[in-house]
Amino acid sequence: MSNVIECNNLTHYYGKKLVYENLNIHVKEGSILGLLGKNGAGKTTTINILNGFLQPRSGECLIFGENTQKLTPKTKGRIGFLIEGHIQYSFMNIHQIEKFYSGFYPGWNNKPYWDLMSKLKVGANQKISSMSCGQRSQVALGLILAQDPDLLILDDFSMGLDPGYRRLFIDYLRAYAKAENKTIFTTSHIISDMERLIDDVLIMDYNRVLTQCPVGDFMRDFKQFNFDLLNDKVDLSKEKFVANFEKVKNKVELYTYESEEFVKKYLNEKGIETRNFQQVTMSLEDAFIGLTGKY
Amino acid sequence: MIYKEWLKIRWFLAGSILVGLLAVAYIFMNAQRAITFQGANNLWYLILFQNYQFYSMLKYIPLLIGAGIGVAQYFPETVNKRIKLTFHLPLLENNAMLMMLGAGLVSLLISFILIIIAFWGLSITFFGDEMSSAAITTIFPWFLAGLAAYFLVALIVMEPLWKYRIFYALIALIFVPLYLNYGMAGAYAPINLKLALLTILISVSMLFSAYRFRKGEM
Repeated sequence: MSNVIECNNLTHYYGKKLVYENLNIHVKEGSILGLLGKNGAGKTTTINILNGFLQPRSGECLIFGENTQKLTPKTKGRIGFLIEGHIQYSFMNIHQIEKFYSGFYPGWNNKPYWDLMSKLKVGANQKISSMSCGQRSQVALGLILAQDPDLLILDDFSMGLDPGYRRLFIDYLRAYAKAENKTIFTTSHIISDMERLIDDVLIMDYNRVLTQCPVGDFMRDFKQFNFDLLNDKVDLSKEKFVANFEKVKNKVELYTYESEEFVKKYLNEKGIETRNFQQVTMSLEDAFIGLTGKY
Repeated sequence: MIYKEWLKIRWFLAGSILVGLLAVAYIFMNAQRAITFQGANNLWYLILFQNYQFYSMLKYIPLLIGAGIGVAQYFPETVNKRIKLTFHLPLLENNAMLMMLGAGLVSLLISFILIIIAFWGLSITFFGDEMSSAAITTIFPWFLAGLAAYFLVALIVMEPLWKYRIFYALIALIFVPLYLNYGMAGAYAPINLKLALLTILISVSMLFSAYRFRKGEM
């Protein structure tokens, strides 16, 4: 399976502030990759580089084999792009915007668009600017589905949406992507949404990638152990096998890729006495916070 | 693309044409009033020997129309960086910008031509060919100022950085008055062509702001 997106040795700075260095991202055809990271970790920077709105300091991103700084109109026609906040031409109504975009894409199929619009309680002449964020999200999604792109790049699709619209958006999107073998590259602040949508996860921290793998592998391999320390002076945060170590008084949350046996053996060997040792089942959000830390 | 631009500017354009035509009507109603109450001879004397420009109220109208259409067309593109949507369309980015610029320019030219035709038609009825030609020569740079204002507003509004916007605005404040200096009727005749060429030169300056946006200046 070929890579639809390939970013090699991407380095970017804002002024003197390093955003990331030698970042490598690969997204396979037909997969849904979720880019997770805290605010300022470089998610929108990456989206902007992918769309050619930002020139990286060094390195390159390829989409369908073309450098994203010089995408041809034909390749741009194969990419659907959702801007953070579901931004669209707010001075248009739903008829005008459909008419506008339909002229640009030879394979335009307005059925999914009107299917979604029929679910909205909006007037035929109502401007997009007067719609709720949820309604605007459906307009933006409908337009992308009508464009029928091979790759969808979605920047924080859940921003401003209530739970019902988020669920509608995700379910529609995943069903569409899997039925049509579409590739999706997405970011979202609401990680529980991602769990329902993505196949692969890429977690970024400031300046670096913490992990990129299938989300199932990440959830299987990354573990949380909670225990109470008898000596609350113990600090395991510097240990190689520890991905994150959170301690409040003597209560510990330890995050690692190692097994329960390994951790227990390590604690025994070091003579660290614990109570109430248990592995905790994590959601993707728990795992994200576990890996990146609470601060 | 033209459809999008039309949706943004149609009401402002219609309003601009209406205001321009009303201004022309007002100018000639004033001329008619002067002829009726003060006599045609007196009005002709003022125009020929006292440099009375009976059409002076038209001076800033093209400028305001040009700047207004520029704002109506480009400001919505910068709100929430909506211009990204245009850059993402399956077109070469410069072509997309030139189409936007072309749509605005054609709209502006239509409004200006309608106003000039109305002015010319009424002027030759009142004052004959020779004085009307001098009047057209005088108002021509005012309409060029309208075009220049449109191009400069595009450059300023599309620029991503405020400090550059202010710099461009200062340049515009120095540049645009070149078209509007007070002079005798027809005084601009020798340089109208040069002003037109200058206006054409600044017409594509907006591409630079668009390029800077695309490269991620912020």
